[in-house]
Amino acid sequence: MIAALAGVLAYFALALLGIVSARGRETAVLAVFAGLASLALWLPGFPEGFVGGLPWGIAVAGDLWALAFWSLALFLHAAVILHAWSKDSLRHALITLLVATCLAGSISRDLFNLYVVLELSSLLSVILIAKEGRSAALWAALRYILLAGLGMIFYLFGLGLVYGRTGALAITALSQTEVWDKPLRIGAGLLLAGATVKTGVFLFGLWLPQAHGHAPTEVSVLLSGLVVKLGVLALARLAEAFPLEPVLLALGLLTGFGGVLYALGEKDLKIMLGHHTVSQIGYMLLGLGLSAELGALLYLVAHGLFKGLLFLCAGEAVEAGATRSIPELVGKVPWPAALGLAVGSWAIVGLPPLAGFVAKNYLSLAQPIWAKAFLFLLSVGTAASFAKLLTLFRGQGGGKFGGIMLLAMGVIALGLWGILHNPAVLALQAWVEAVLAVGLGFLTYLLVREKRLPLPQFFLEHALLSVLLATVALSTILLIA
Amino acid sequence: MESLSGLGLSVALALLGIWTMVVRRNLVWKLLGLNVASGGGILFLVALSHRPGVRPPIVGLGPGPAADALPQALVLTAVVIHFATLALALALVILLTEYRHTQDARKLEEGSV
Repeated sequence: MIAALAGVLAYFALALLGIVSARGRETAVLAVFAGLASLALWLPGFPEGFVGGLPWGIAVAGDLWALAFWSLALFLHAAVILHAWSKDSLRHALITLLVATCLAGSISRDLFNLYVVLELSSLLSVILIAKEGRSAALWAALRYILLAGLGMIFYLFGLGLVYGRTGALAITALSQTEVWDKPLRIGAGLLLAGATVKTGVFLFGLWLPQAHGHAPTEVSVLLSGLVVKLGVLALARLAEAFPLEPVLLALGLLTGFGGVLYALGEKDLKIMLGHHTVSQIGYMLLGLGLSAELGALLYLVAHGLFKGLLFLCAGEAVEAGATRSIPELVGKVPWPAALGLAVGSWAIVGLPPLAGFVAKNYLSLAQPIWAKAFLFLLSVGTAASFAKLLTLFRGQGGGKFGGIMLLAMGVIALGLWGILHNPAVLALQAWVEAVLAVGLGFLTYLLVREKRLPLPQFFLEHALLSVLLATVALSTILLIA
Repeated sequence: MESLSGLGLSVALALLGIWTMVVRRNLVWKLLGLNVASGGGILFLVALSHRPGVRPPIVGLGPGPAADALPQALVLTAVVIHFATLALALALVILLTEYRHTQDARKLEEGSV
């Protein structure tokens, strides 16, 4: 526990040092090494302890989630530093601060501490999105801050209700209470709603595609790869404290298909990837809802790697091509970005033997047939949407490999590790299913390519209203269920 | 009764703030709504810790049972966070106004889609 806390503190201290000393790059590198050293010291985990002592201390624990989260965070941060080395020092320092927040959040097992971490990550994300200064990015950041603020108000009310009923804020203490009466149900619903807004679940977090799409390259890598996962982690903690599995299952289906529907017709490369982040969260929530915790965790790491890779390459492509539209980008993508896009798409549609395939299989292993059917449909939808990137895989001219190489190797290594680790993934049926899903997805793409689905556009008011209504619905469902 | 009215007031504040956020098109009004609603959340936590006949949880304020100190400690952090959120959001609004010369959410949205 001491090692992990020291690691988090060192990360924060180095980030602040980077801000005041204008040597953000160097301190960022130091911070990654400090994080690695701390991780090596607390490996393979530590039992729950209380920072500040009982009874009011903050519960922290180094469980499997924290371990996976730390590994992902440090890997992504290293890739971002490598790729964005030439960017200004302040940005590096702010990114370090954001990663430090995520590290702190992953070991926290206290509802209020999670609230603070979620808020801090929103604020830092907003600064990083808006720092580029273009008006579309500013608007996306403002949408983010308003929607996240609203969600966090619900979270605060839920926290109050839960504390008022049980007198506890620590996840472990909450999971041991026998109480599950009406105020507590509403409280759990409000907490859940707050965390889903932060995670970017469809209808709750309608800020996500724009914010991730308009952020600068290295920032969208971290937002999609890491910060969104902090919300998923909070949801996992909530699922541990309260019996929320059926609701998470429903939310997973909602966000999985909702995200894909919007991604299908999207022509803006980075915003399309944002819609896919919304959809991919569905896999993790389905994993949580089906009690396949290991599958959800593996998917979290896999998605962090391949979506990070996709956003990195998309950012490179958009910068090189000076346009964001997919049809106009054809023939303007530099080779490294084109290869990275190909590897990332290969992984996200779940083709063997990359990370996406392995994670999807861990999820669907030993699940009922209807759950498998939903996962299959989701894969078909993802493949149909990614089929429009096929024309971008042909590169033009050179570019820098840097972080693209590192992330691509991570995606491949995780895939190979998963296959060697679990022989069940090697079954012929799994491979046939994966190829079939992609084939069907491609056919769907050819069929619907010319059509534009008449989907409603969510302006800010609609997004706010949708958060409000979805929260009421969620609490009502928990109340009567 | 006091505690109950505090809870009722906090919910009313939150609803009022959220209502403002949804119906007002001006960004500054939206932020005001967010701030009022946050105030509701804070008041909710404070009101929860109150029981009839208790004294404030301050050392040296006399004998008798004190109110639960934990929610009040949490509120301090929440106040700071809300302050930071509001400051950051206002800075964004200033920048947006400089670029686009409007604070109307609908106009800003239509321009950036």
